[in-house]
This record gives sequence, structure tokens and C-alpha cells, in this order.
Amino acid sequence: MTLALASLLIPLATALLLLFLRSRAGAWVIIASLLSLIVAGLALAEVVAHGTQTLAIGGWDTPLGIRFELNLLSALLLTFTALVHLLVAVYAERSRHSQTRDTDYWPLSCLLHGSLAALWLSRDLFNWYVTLELLGLVAVAMIIISGPKAYGPALRYLLLSLAASLCYLLGVALLYGRYGVLDIDLLATMIDANHTTRLALLLMTLGLMLKAALWPLHLWLPAAHASAPTAVSALLSALVVKGPLFILWMLWSRMAPVEVAQPAGLLFALAGIVALLAGGWAALRTPFLKTLVAYSTVAQLGYALLALGLLLRWQQTELSAALWLFVLAHGLAKVSMFLAAGEMQATLGSKRVSSLKGATQTMPIAMFAFAVAGGSLIGLPPSGGFVAKWVLLQPLLADPVHWPWALGVLLGTLASAAYVFRVVALAFDRADPNPPNYNPDAFAQWLALLPALVVWGMALYSEPLILWLTEVNR
Amino acid sequence: MLSLELLFDITLSVLLLILAGTALHVRHLYTGIVLFVAFGLLLAITWARLGAPDLALAEAAIGAGLTGVLLLAALARIGPEPPPRRPPARALSAGVLGVLVLILLIRAVLPLEQGPQPLPGLVSAHLDTSGVSHPVTAVLLNFRAWDTLLELVVLLLAVLGVRQLQPAGYKQAHAWTLLRAWSRILAPLSVIIAGYLLWRGSHAPGGAFQAGALLAAGIVLLRLAGLLPVLRWDDWPMRALVLMGIVVFLGIAAAGAWLGSGWLNYPPQWSGNLILLIEVAATLSIAASLSLLVIGEREELGT
Amino acid sequence: MSSTLIFLCAGSVLWLMGLHGLARLHHPIRRIMAINIMGSGTFMVMIALANRGEHSDPVLHALVVTGLVVAVSATAFALRLAVAISAHKSGKQQAPEPNE
Repeated sequence: MTLALASLLIPLATALLLLFLRSRAGAWVIIASLLSLIVAGLALAEVVAHGTQTLAIGGWDTPLGIRFELNLLSALLLTFTALVHLLVAVYAERSRHSQTRDTDYWPLSCLLHGSLAALWLSRDLFNWYVTLELLGLVAVAMIIISGPKAYGPALRYLLLSLAASLCYLLGVALLYGRYGVLDIDLLATMIDANHTTRLALLLMTLGLMLKAALWPLHLWLPAAHASAPTAVSALLSALVVKGPLFILWMLWSRMAPVEVAQPAGLLFALAGIVALLAGGWAALRTPFLKTLVAYSTVAQLGYALLALGLLLRWQQTELSAALWLFVLAHGLAKVSMFLAAGEMQATLGSKRVSSLKGATQTMPIAMFAFAVAGGSLIGLPPSGGFVAKWVLLQPLLADPVHWPWALGVLLGTLASAAYVFRVVALAFDRADPNPPNYNPDAFAQWLALLPALVVWGMALYSEPLILWLTEVNR
Repeated sequence: MLSLELLFDITLSVLLLILAGTALHVRHLYTGIVLFVAFGLLLAITWARLGAPDLALAEAAIGAGLTGVLLLAALARIGPEPPPRRPPARALSAGVLGVLVLILLIRAVLPLEQGPQPLPGLVSAHLDTSGVSHPVTAVLLNFRAWDTLLELVVLLLAVLGVRQLQPAGYKQAHAWTLLRAWSRILAPLSVIIAGYLLWRGSHAPGGAFQAGALLAAGIVLLRLAGLLPVLRWDDWPMRALVLMGIVVFLGIAAAGAWLGSGWLNYPPQWSGNLILLIEVAATLSIAASLSLLVIGEREELGT
Repeated sequence: MSSTLIFLCAGSVLWLMGLHGLARLHHPIRRIMAINIMGSGTFMVMIALANRGEHSDPVLHALVVTGLVVAVSATAFALRLAVAISAHKSGKQQAPEPNE
């Protein structure tokens, strides 16, 4: 547990130091992310060797105090968070186009890192409320770095995020009123299906779905994510929307009574399918590149929602593995995609998808990164996205009754293939390439490619990953 | 037959609902803000009625006072709203939906009149070892200190968020004249009360947040009276003040983890002093952050 | 019928009024007030719950103190953001006057 705490403390302390010194040196953040990644990796190894650990903060046992729990999933997410921060920080420091070099991006990204680490470790409903507020505020503060054009979407995001927090908080208050405790495992032992529990779960779910931009509460996401600076868009899509998703998964898979969870699972799964199709369709239609990538986040979150829904519907804990594999694979692929998109958009001087005409010639590496990341989003073997889809499809194909769900997944796959090929096909149109405004920066493009390579490398470790993630529910 | 107490409660609730409704929907925004402040003050009375004097103080200082100042300042700079666009007539469906949600909510809260309450007993059982004698302070700074630490980070993030905004030729604010006249009297008073609240917090209602908010109010008033220079993030003492609460808190947490007892464990013989140290640092941080949020970087004030 | 119940119901209504206001109103200041009223409703439910037993529940009171500070931070940020939006809008309308 000490290692996990260190992984949380390092970015927080770095943020405070940077703020006090008014330093905007990215090198500090890179070092801090690297250190945090190492200790998170060690924490993961410790959990693999010795099993789940818990910590009563301040020495006060639940229900009086707040409990931290370091299980395989939390350790994996800590590592993932640090890894994404490291990859993005290296790009943001190096690229001319990151829009973040001489800004408060650096301390803010450290605070984001710390907030996420606190969220992954906590098991207390009210403490999660505070971490959700942290995530919301830090996300908005980072979006407005890109200037006055982003203020409108940022304010909209902030107001919705606050309303969502209050939905969640009212749900927490109702549960506390009914059961008198805030720790999720204690609640799980007491909870039964009554009006109060149902409404509390409904309120918390709506709040979390709004914050995680899960269909149909996703409408704020494309504008907010697309208007942020490139490095921030990457962090937002890869990490920030996953925080509320984690809490949602915890609530339903660990705490909710089965007789409530099963019907809710059907709704989640249906919403997931619609998200896949609607998000994919919107990504296919939008004229703007970063908006396309942002809509792809809406669509890809549909897989997570589908996995959550089916997990609850059939009470099959193996599907947790599919959910979290999607989250990890999508996070890495989306980092690559946003960085490549941002780099191309800045170099080619236009936000439109059409400006990518002939980009395989002018910016081959960035375009390659986009395509490789897109391959994982589609689920081509042997990428991380493929592994996730494979785990999801296994129980779907096993029984003919479940085949309609498999059809939904297939349609979603086709939709994601369509919007990725829309970009790639245009980029191969080399007849009359759009000339870049600046000299393309090859090194920055390689940095954008790196996360995509990592996600394809995930396939090599698929066996232990599936094994670990299947065990997280037990 | 209704008892007098219930009658009072019902009147209070109805008044609150009416104030909230009119504050939101009244034609002139300025009137709306004034009603909103009145709503906040009435809310403070409600909290006192419900046996929560800590919250009554906090609501009066933070909810009504600071939020009111912030709203008025924003109104002065945004200006009156354009003539309202008539929204499409969806009032009926919204009304039906609202009533439906309300029924669900009421049905959910009805059984909550009685319920298990294990925590108050636990708090009083462990109060002796917490280092303070006021239960709310014990929860905030010992039992659930991690929430409080993160909450200081929330406040820091708000300050940082505001700092990311690019300035764009603000209009001069005119709403401050009356405040300025009063501020010379009120400012020293609020500083004294803040100190008193902080000291009181260890054994009676009061504590870091209320004290910090009042101190912030005092700083705002002093600044408006021209007795303080412009508050800037770029001055290092200001940054030190804002960051101090988190640094002290995190430092104590990490030292605890390092030197033995554990993350945020206070050694029993020192817990009283450590909590006092954290409270003083947090109060100053909260005061500095809130006053930066209200009047930070604004040179036209106090001239 | 007890005062706990009255305030539980009143808190629920306040929360709903705030949500409705957020959905229906356009001016940013009004929307921010609506969110604050939503918050006050939530806090009222929590404080009413705290007032159930013989002794009031210090944990809920502490949670509300935390909630209040979070609310005022977010409100201040949102208001400054709203001011910045309107300032940049009016700056654009009066162009080519340069920003300060």
C-alpha cells in the first residue's frame, strides 16, 4: 500500500512544487510521471504476489473512517494512469503544437494524475464525490488553457458536471439515510431492494453517466474534448471519463442488489449498443477532425456500457475483464489518435477532416499512428482492442439466444471501421495533397505513435491481463 | 392539530421554496440575486433550527455572504440579460416529468424518518482519542481528514482555473460603492471574529472553514476600502499562503506513513497540536484562496 | 409528521427546482444560482437526516461543510468563466479595439 500511496503522492507533491516555484518545466512532470509509473508497477507486482490490500486512513476502521483498497484493478489503473501521463507529458514537452508548453498545463496535469489515483484507491461513496469534483474542475481548468474559444464549451461542461455531482450526492445522502454507512463493501452487506435504494442508485447512475459521457448523456463531450489543447484532449478522453465509469462499475457490480441490477443491466446494454451506433454515425458525419475523434470516444464508451450491462444482466463476472480491457485499450489508442490528430491539424493549418487529403505523403508517421490506433479501436487482431472484443464476444457467441447482442457489436465495429477508413482513405488520396503550413515535426509524430504501439503490445500480455481482470470481482 | 414547532417549520420551508423560485425566475436579475442572498440567510436560520450551528455559520459566511458578493460582481461585469427568448412551450411535459420525479423522491425520503445511525455513536466513542472535543471538527480533521485534504485541493483548483482565463478588457464595476463605505467598520470586526471562530472550533461550533471564509470576507472588505494592495498569485507570499494548507496536511500524512503509525495517523499525544496546526494552515489557505477568487488580480478596486 | 420529514421533502423540492432551473434558464448567472439551489436542497436533505436521533449526526454535518466549500469554489470559478465569456464577446463586438 505504501507504494500505491507514493504513486498518488508524487504527482501531488510535484504539482505543489511547480505551483510554488511558478515553474512550467515539463521535465519535472516527466520525471514525476516516470517515478509514479515505477512505483505503481511495483505496487501491481506486490498485489499480484500478495493479494488485495486495504488501508484504514488515519487508523480509523470503517464505518468511521475512509478505506483505501488496492486490488488488481486499482493497481492496474494506477499504472495505466501514470503511463498515459508519461506518454502525454513527453509529447506535450516536445511538440511545438501541443499548445501547452508555457502554461499551467504542467501542474494541472499532475493534479489530475493525483485526483485519479485517489479515485482508484478510494472505496467511500462521499470521498468519491470529492474526487469527482476534483476531476471536473481540473478538466475544465485544462480545457480553457486553449483560449477564449473554449470558454463556452468549458462553462457548459462545468455546469453539467456540477449538476451531475449533485445528483450523485443526493443519491449518497439517501443511501446514508437508509443504511447509515458510506463504505461500499459495508453497504453491499446491508443493501436490499426498496424505493430508497432504487432511487439512490438511479440518481447516482444518472450523475455518473453524465460525467462519463455515456449515451444518452454525452452531448457535452464532443465540444469540450475537441476544443481543449491536444494533450488535454488526450488525457480527457483516455482518463477523465473513466473515473466516473469506475465508480459506476463499483456501485453496480459490488453493491447493487441483484434484483435491481438485472433489469438495469438490460438498459445499460441497450444504451451501449445505441452509443456504438449513434457515436459512430456522428463521427462519420462531422466535418472536424478532433470532433470525429471525440465522437469516437462516445462510441467506444458504448462497448464498456454494453459489457457492464451484460455483466449485470447475466451476473457473469468474467465480463468485467472485457470492460476494463476496453478501457485500457481505448485509453491508449485514443491518446495516440488525439495526439496524431492534433499534430496534423496544427501542421496542416485546418481543423477540417478534408484538410487531411494526402496526409500519408505529408505527415506519414502521424497518419500511421492514427491508422494503427484506429485499428485497435476497430478491434483488428492482435491489438488490445481485439483482445477486449474477443473476451466480450466469447459469452455472446456461446449461446444462440445471445446472438442479437453479437450483432450489435458487429454493427458497432462496422461503424468504427467506417469512420477510421473515412480518414485513412482521404489521407491516401495523394493526387493533390494539402500542403502543410509548417515543416512536419517527425519526432513529435513518433511520440504520437508510441501509445498506439503500446496498445498493440498489450496483446502480448493479454493472458495475465485477462486473468487478473477476471479476478477483480472476487 | 399542528404543534407550534411544526407550524414554524412548515412556514420556514414554504418561505424557502418561494424565495428560491422567485430568485430564479424573477424578471430582473438584480432582484433575483438579492432574493438569493435572502434565501441563503434564511437557510442559515434553518440550519440553526435543525441543530447545526456550524453549518449556520458556514452558510451565512460562505453560502450567503461570499456567493452573494460573487454574484453581484459577476452581474456588474456581465450586465443585464438580453430580452428573454421565449422557450418553446414545453411547460406541460416538463411539469409532468417534474411531478413524476417529485413523487419518486418523496417516496424515497418517506422511510428515512427513522433509520440506523451507527456513526454518531462511534464518533462520540472515539472523541476522546481524536485530539479535539467538538465532534464535527473531529470528523473533519481526524476521522475523515482525507476528504478535507482533497477539499483543499478543490479550492486550489478553482483558483488555478480562474488563473487560466485570459483577461479581456473588463468593464469597471460600479456595484461596490456602498460596500466600500461599510468596509472600514466591518473588516476589522470580521478578522477578530474569524480568529475567535478558529479558536472555538476545537471545542464548540466553529472551525477552519467558517474562520477562513470570514477572514476572506474581511480581506475583501479591506481591499475594497483601499487598505490592502492588489492580491496577486505572482507574489510568492500569496502562493505560499494558498498552498500552505495542502502542504502541511500532506506533509503530516506522508510523515505519518513514513515514520510508523500510517497515512494520516496522528500520534495520540500530539493529535491535538497537529490538528491545530492543520487548522491554522487550512484557515489561512482558505482565506487566501477565497479572497483571490473574489478580488484577485483586480487593480481597479480600492482606488 | 415531523420536522425531519418536512425538511426532507422541502430539500427534495429545492433540488428539483434547481435542476429545473438549470434546464430551463439561459443566463449563466441564473443557471449558476440554480445549481446552488440544487446544492442547498441536497444539503437540506443531509441536515434533516442528521437531525433524526437524539443527538445530531456530526458526520453528516462535516460532509455538508465539505460540500459547501466545494460549492463555493465551483461557483466562483463558474462565475469568473461566465464573466470572461461575456467580456470576450463584447470585446469582439467592439473590435478592432485591442484587449488589455
